[in-house]
Amino acid sequence: MRFSALLRKELRECLPWMLLAAIVFLALGGFFLRVEIHYRNPSWYYSRLSPGTIVESSLFTYYSILGIMGPLLLLSSIGLGLVLGIRHFWIPNFTRTWPFLLHRSVSRKTILAAKLTATMIAFVISLGPVWIGLYWYACRPEVFPIPQTPRVFIEGWIFIMLGLVTYLGTALSGLNTAKWYTTKIFGLVFAALVIFTIFPQCSLVWIFTVIAVSAAILLSRIFDTFLRREF
Amino acid sequence: MKLKSNFKYIATPAKVFMTVLIVLVAVSILQGIILEIERTFRLSATIKPKAELTQEEKRLNRIRNSAKEFLPDGTIHLVYNLGYTPTRMGLPAREQIYDVNDDLLWEGPSDKRPFEYLSWAKQLRRYRDGFTREQMKQTQMITTEFSQNVRIPVRSDNKTEQIWRYHPGAKFFKGYNTSGEKIGYAGSTGFTDSKSKVKPFEEFRLFTAWCSQDSSNPTLLWQTQRHIYQIDFEKQQVKLIFENTEADIEIEGTSLHAWRDLKPGEKEYVDRRKYRPLLHCVTEDGKHHLLMRNPGRQLTITIPKAWQGWVNHYHRFTATKQGIFLSRTWTEFRKAPDYLQTREVLDRLLSDYQSKDKQRHVELYRLGTDGSLDLLTGYTWIVPARTGPVVRARDPRSAVQRGVAQFSSPLYDLAVRLLGRKFWLWAYSSRNMGDFFYSLARMIMDIQPYGGVINRILSALMMVFVFLHGWPRRTSWAKFAFWLVFAGLFNLAGLLTYLALNHTAVVKCPVCGRRRGLARFDCVRCRAELPAPERGKLDLILST
Repeated sequence: MRFSALLRKELRECLPWMLLAAIVFLALGGFFLRVEIHYRNPSWYYSRLSPGTIVESSLFTYYSILGIMGPLLLLSSIGLGLVLGIRHFWIPNFTRTWPFLLHRSVSRKTILAAKLTATMIAFVISLGPVWIGLYWYACRPEVFPIPQTPRVFIEGWIFIMLGLVTYLGTALSGLNTAKWYTTKIFGLVFAALVIFTIFPQCSLVWIFTVIAVSAAILLSRIFDTFLRREF
Repeated sequence: MKLKSNFKYIATPAKVFMTVLIVLVAVSILQGIILEIERTFRLSATIKPKAELTQEEKRLNRIRNSAKEFLPDGTIHLVYNLGYTPTRMGLPAREQIYDVNDDLLWEGPSDKRPFEYLSWAKQLRRYRDGFTREQMKQTQMITTEFSQNVRIPVRSDNKTEQIWRYHPGAKFFKGYNTSGEKIGYAGSTGFTDSKSKVKPFEEFRLFTAWCSQDSSNPTLLWQTQRHIYQIDFEKQQVKLIFENTEADIEIEGTSLHAWRDLKPGEKEYVDRRKYRPLLHCVTEDGKHHLLMRNPGRQLTITIPKAWQGWVNHYHRFTATKQGIFLSRTWTEFRKAPDYLQTREVLDRLLSDYQSKDKQRHVELYRLGTDGSLDLLTGYTWIVPARTGPVVRARDPRSAVQRGVAQFSSPLYDLAVRLLGRKFWLWAYSSRNMGDFFYSLARMIMDIQPYGGVINRILSALMMVFVFLHGWPRRTSWAKFAFWLVFAGLFNLAGLLTYLALNHTAVVKCPVCGRRRGLARFDCVRCRAELPAPERGKLDLILST
């Protein structure tokens, strides 16, 4: 009951940012997708094919029609992670509301679990349905004849997970009591390193392993810091 | 409380891992910046105008840089390209043609050349007309625009009617029409309408595509591990044109000549009235396979053992209406059989090669019907030793590179040694360029300390620093010893990690007057306890 009350409170705090991320992603993503569908004409794309010529191999490599939304999804996800991390772990330092939150008769573990659960729910229900909806729309034959590959759908979820890693990095930096120019920034730097490591990867198994290991490292450090730190 | 202690066992190693990773990346970025600056200066130093060459040096340079071409009767000509000049941009380059006695036969624009030389099968080059296994892997790379896929169109009246998408995991093509309906599958046994009937290709190696003269739809030459197929999506045909059950086909060995039905004027166009279509591939057992058409024939050639082991050794093939020819080019400098066993042996070979004058040969052979080789003609010239210093040190890198690498972790050396020959051969191969692990491997090769004595001394100095810093602050012997070893193993990154995680203020011990860390209750030197604060008049809590 206490956990659910805390969870509701955290979700209330997340709500404006969740809505903002979902609206921005839906509006801009939908617009970009419409423009892309309108302008990407396969007949024009292959008009360079002419009899008796060698075809450059680059003509056959093709980004998904949803590719136009990739940077937007990534930015929305990282942005949401940053904002929620700051909202949950940095703002209480400035508003001095940590003691108010911690004096309740719930353990610190429950408080932290409520924050993390609220964030996961926020990511899943703000960006997840929009991504599923846009993917489903792009897969309809009347929109674009070639269905999108399932891999692109999974990659979209990887981008959403990178937002969660950013959140964890921001949370760790927020909880650290060192100076910002020393080890305080390491949480965010670590999250940035994970994002840079993911990008040139080809294997989905490797990508999920990197995300899982880095999330485990950040989570263990967040729990340790939060349970030990004096507020 | 129990949860707190349990987390400590996971969170502390996680903290050390995270910090050392960040510091290692930061140190390597710094090293990379220094190396790039040095490289830029080194390059600008090498393009300084050189001293004026003598007439003889100019002649030798010209001979070395001339293309050695064969007339159909076996006569050798040396074709020297004079290049473009700013006033003649857009016009064909001028060239000089000499005979083997170095007499000038002709000079003029290359398109007016009065001789017609034998043309040779050309290797499929990456990006232009060849699509390699590495490129296929790169399509799977996750980018900000997601990954890519390979699609082959089938068009009719300038309209795309079908798209065939390759699935690297399943190793077959799946076809769609413009209504988005699945129209079939293409695999090694041909086209089919059912997924259960399609037989996948083997592991993909290479493909090239062209549109034949009577079609604007691409035909693909699709090379797998041991097979080569020709796929026509318009006619829905998969034709097996080569199969080898004994060894894999080398990726970079496949070359074509007059195989593709191109229109005159296209860059790779070859007149089929003079040449037979030829596909040349090499298998990993060293055998060369020639597939010819008009009339169709397959020939396997085993290269003589005496030809093997020379540096810069390569073969080119061509098939005219009159016969099949082989051009062999090689440098009279032997590679040790084990030259790829260790990096040191390879580096020594390179340095020996650079320091000596070498003879280079080009030879023309006619192939018999049984694959026998008949030498028709040959030519030899000198490749002079490299001018300037040849590095003969154990570590052949430049002084700045060696200096920068001294601050690296000695663990890089250990990693390279443990990963072994396959690792550095992979890292040396430029065809892996673009791969994340290739960049990582190159970075490690660039900054590894190469077992340098200075690196070990620096590591020891880091340990001394940690000792001096950690002694008054130590809280347990195990922790103290761990950080000493850690600094020794990671060098500068180890020291910085130690400082990031362990630096605390020190106070003067009121008993012995020496420094002591605030994390301990007693002085590390005199064992005196930290003094309790005295009660003050305003200390309300203690006085009640």
